Amino acid sequence: MARTRTTLTRAIILLALAAVFFITLDLSGSSSTTSIRRAFSTIFAPVEGVARVVTRPVSNAWKAIRNYDDVIDENDRLKEQVALQEGAAVAAAASVRLSQELLALNGLPTLAGINSVTAQVIGDTPTNFSQTVEINQGANSGIKVGMPVLNAAGLIGKVTEVFADRALVMLISDPDYALSVKVVTKSSRTPVTLPPLPTEDAPTVDSVLETTDTSSTSSTSSTTTTILGFTPGTTTIPPEVVAGAGGGSNITVPVASQLAVRETGILEGRGPGTRPIVRFLDASTRGSAIEVGAPIVSAGGSRSLAPPDIVIGVVSRVVERLGTAGPVLEIDLVADLSSLSFLRVLLYQPITETGK
Amino acid sequence: MLERLLRAVASRWFRVVLVVLIALSVQTTLFSEIRPFGFAIQLIAIFVAVVGSTHDVQTGALVGLVSGFMYDAVLATPLGISALVLGALGAIAALLMQPFREPTWWLRVVVVSVVAAFGEILMPIVKSVVGLSGWLDVRILGAAAVTFVGALVVSSALIPVSRWTLQERVGRGD
Repeated sequence: MARTRTTLTRAIILLALAAVFFITLDLSGSSSTTSIRRAFSTIFAPVEGVARVVTRPVSNAWKAIRNYDDVIDENDRLKEQVALQEGAAVAAAASVRLSQELLALNGLPTLAGINSVTAQVIGDTPTNFSQTVEINQGANSGIKVGMPVLNAAGLIGKVTEVFADRALVMLISDPDYALSVKVVTKSSRTPVTLPPLPTEDAPTVDSVLETTDTSSTSSTSSTTTTILGFTPGTTTIPPEVVAGAGGGSNITVPVASQLAVRETGILEGRGPGTRPIVRFLDASTRGSAIEVGAPIVSAGGSRSLAPPDIVIGVVSRVVERLGTAGPVLEIDLVADLSSLSFLRVLLYQPITETGK
Repeated sequence: MLERLLRAVASRWFRVVLVVLIALSVQTTLFSEIRPFGFAIQLIAIFVAVVGSTHDVQTGALVGLVSGFMYDAVLATPLGISALVLGALGAIAALLMQPFREPTWWLRVVVVSVVAAFGEILMPIVKSVVGLSGWLDVRILGAAAVTFVGALVVSSALIPVSRWTLQERVGRGD
């Protein structure tokens, strides 16, 4: 009896030390724990499959009892919404195609160039302390750790564990999720209306882009622009659009500050039922420059977890902070994370996740 | 060799692994979909607390550690976190039952429910300790309450399962 107790105590100490060791290993980013998970998954998957079949009637009955009224209401609302959006969707699809053609023409990366795998959600997280879903595609379909996952509305998360025929997707709302994003917002400055001028008095592109002062002049319609953050190039203004060149009528020239402004920040999940937030990399960003409703898209970049310009959500609240800390934005996600069904995994593995 | 293997397969620890495997599959299928007020009932935590309440501290802790490792292997959380939490739950349940010489069934059920609910508070604390912050908020009270009620309902059914799983079978001639 005493011998059994000693053996049990030794086993407990050994397992507790093993737990601490594996936690350290896992948090340091080691991939060695992945092999343990994969081995266990091989044993567990058939048992879970049987349990899923056996328990499905019970879970279906639960859903039927709990959600019936909501489903009826939602169905009516969705029918109305579909009717409203059918026309808008056609116009949007045309715009997206045009945008992608322009991006491709300029050699910029587009989502159209990235292959994807469609997967179905087969399970929610079994715990109250992680925001993950299980999908029915895995390594056999080319899915790897770190790949971004979308639904029809927008980005919903990233792949965190991959098995042969299934994978775990961490949702955007998980506190462990972070992604570089950009906020596209408009300037409130009004465009400048130029009076008709003789050709020799037409404004230079420099003056238009950098200041609203229209006093500077140029005698040619071909000028060199220097805009901060862009490679200098040559901008040629066709003679017919140069003020005063044709009929001498007024023209409206958009000032550079009127174009969309992009603020870059980090999106962080804050758990279920709480809106994710965006913190700015540049603390000098003014909250007043960001409007509620401004779209949030992925920033992209070589070290980003997702390609650029994937829609994530819109700004729902701008929280100003005292001192030098920049504002914090609360985000309304475009994707409804509570009712995920079919997802699209972009076969795009970020550099930071390579080898996992 | 074969005899030793058969003896290992027939041991109560092998039965524990099999029973936890089944409990885990129910947790990841049925109880991940049945979410009262948005919270999942933690069947594994309830089972570990039941084992602790029906056996001694060592048995409770060991079953908790083994169950936790298996749970962590399914989740995307760092391997070992659930093991530490469930190991503690098994030991706590056994310690809470120690003062009672012949506890009534309802006392055992209440202790199991309290311990399982405590697990839902302990988990985010342990996650915060290892640097996974963001889960320690008032929401955990809801998770604890749902697991407490869930344990009140299912723990009495798990008590005979726990006793059967961990019973020592004495063979003839032993």
